[in-house]
Amino acid sequence: MNVIEMNNICKSYQMGAEKLQVLKDVCITIEQGEFVAILGPSGSGKSTLMNIIGCMDISDSGEYTLSGIPVHKSRESKLGKIRNEQIGFIFQKYQLINKYNVLQNVILPLLARGQSRRQAKHVGIEKIRSVGLSDRIYHKPSELSGGQQQRVAIARAIAGNPSILLADEPTGALDTNTGKEVMEIFKKLHQEGNTIVMITHDVGIAENAERIIRIVDGCVA
Amino acid sequence: MRITEIIYLVMVSIMQNKFKVLLTSLGIIVGAMTIVMVIAIGVGGQMDVADQFKNLNAGTIEIESISATSATVDMRQMMQMMQMRSSASTSSSNSNIATLTVSDTEEMVLFINGIKDISLVASSSQSVYGGDLDETTTYTIVGASEEYQTITNLSMYMGEFITSEMEETEARSVILGYDVATEIFTYPMLAYESEIAIDDRTYTVAGVLNKTSNILNGNTVDSCIYMPYSTAEKNIFDTDIKPQMVVLAEDVDQVATIIAKASVLLKEIHPQGEFTISDAGAEMEAALSSANTLSMLLLAVATIVFIVGGIGIMNVLFVSVKERTPEIGVLKALGTSKLDILLQFLIEANLISVIGGIIGVGLSYVIMPLMQDVIRMEPTTEAGIMALVFAIVTGTVFGFYPAYQASQLRPIEALNAK
Repeated sequence: MNVIEMNNICKSYQMGAEKLQVLKDVCITIEQGEFVAILGPSGSGKSTLMNIIGCMDISDSGEYTLSGIPVHKSRESKLGKIRNEQIGFIFQKYQLINKYNVLQNVILPLLARGQSRRQAKHVGIEKIRSVGLSDRIYHKPSELSGGQQQRVAIARAIAGNPSILLADEPTGALDTNTGKEVMEIFKKLHQEGNTIVMITHDVGIAENAERIIRIVDGCVA
Repeated sequence: MRITEIIYLVMVSIMQNKFKVLLTSLGIIVGAMTIVMVIAIGVGGQMDVADQFKNLNAGTIEIESISATSATVDMRQMMQMMQMRSSASTSSSNSNIATLTVSDTEEMVLFINGIKDISLVASSSQSVYGGDLDETTTYTIVGASEEYQTITNLSMYMGEFITSEMEETEARSVILGYDVATEIFTYPMLAYESEIAIDDRTYTVAGVLNKTSNILNGNTVDSCIYMPYSTAEKNIFDTDIKPQMVVLAEDVDQVATIIAKASVLLKEIHPQGEFTISDAGAEMEAALSSANTLSMLLLAVATIVFIVGGIGIMNVLFVSVKERTPEIGVLKALGTSKLDILLQFLIEANLISVIGGIIGVGLSYVIMPLMQDVIRMEPTTEAGIMALVFAIVTGTVFGFYPAYQASQLRPIEALNAK
């Protein structure tokens, strides 16, 4: 079954007087349980592609179906719900909220869904354990190392049981060794059946994935 | 998101920025304090007025000759002047100023029905010596009649008030206000039947009045020395004295009739005189309305303080929204709805103002007792509640726009904002 189906996705931005065509007729299909890397140099349009996959932006034209939901037809209020239920984000700079502790950060997607803290707490603690941070549950992100913070971010991404994990340069802010550790977690999550889409410019990191989609100048190469 | 969870997250956020929250709520703290104290001053003022009129009978009428060279124009006199415009008063040229006399009171009783008691009252400052005083001290000497006691409900601590016999014999007898007795003789008991010198003449103390915080005919009762009007007229008063006439009607319903008749009668007796005639009820109403005006004015000031405080909150929230844009981006990326983000900021603004309101009300209860000597304040629960309601309204009104702005941020831009 295909989790992601993109057909002829186009996206352009107005840059002053010029219209900049960032994505040109992009077609991507990703199956359930795949670990895919989207590889491209900076300026290739991979960030724009990630925003569209992540339902944070919508394409100008084309069709995008995520777990059977026609995203291209959805409005912003609906997109929020889709993001919450279907996508687990992992950002380059972790994007944890510093005033909340690890547990509070991890359960945010569940709270946003309308669950109570009590309900969400069990799932949160279990996910934190699965990334090996059981002893850091009540710590603040600022008290953790970069690698640990990224693991918290991963726990947050999987807490909501999404259909895809969408990682944007997940090792970009980490040193080589920590990056490797994070990649190991990704592989483990993949083995557990999660669908992972990883955006990167680093061939070495991309090689961790089963399949690499190269993107150059807004086109799938 | 559940509202309880939003509140929980806001609390977590507030607990980590206690100092910032305190600074933000400063305007609200001051605003709430102002409201509570202003209302306390207003209520205090009204109670002062009520106290002033406490001993005055509802059927009391005061008649006064208008003088262009009035020595002191106090609140009550001003009030009476205002009264004059609306109530019955005779008016003529100001060239001759009529002086009310004892014979006027006799004519009043003779020609007007329904008068229960009547007294002429006048006062003058004199130097007094005697008892434990080290040097002569100036006191207000009030000349009045026997009936003055029933009109004003003055009660005796000991001895007797002015009697008709004293009046007839122009007796050198005085009745001391409680404070005067304490000041001159240390113990008011000792004053009775003692002698004091007023303007170098000797008088015997026939009685001491009970302590009361009343002000009658412009004089603080506790600090006055009372004597028969005839005695005072003979020994104390100058010819330019301005006596007042105090009349007690048999029935409150007759007050208006008596005022009308007195006005006509006095015009006949003193064709060139001009009098203000006012009754206690109207006077009290006027004094209360001026106290009310004062509290409304103060309340307006408090409202302005709140608006300024609200603008302060709005400012801080705007900065806060800017500062927390990446955080809002994360919340949006995770699928938090616009409404939830709006509520989060709005509840934060509200909590800050409620905290400020509570601190403000609390502080006002600490400060008010300290200011009791400066101005009379009567704290009320209503004032505290009102301050809190104002605080909440301010937080909601001024928190809304920043909260709305936060909710409208676009997720990608918010995430990448630095």
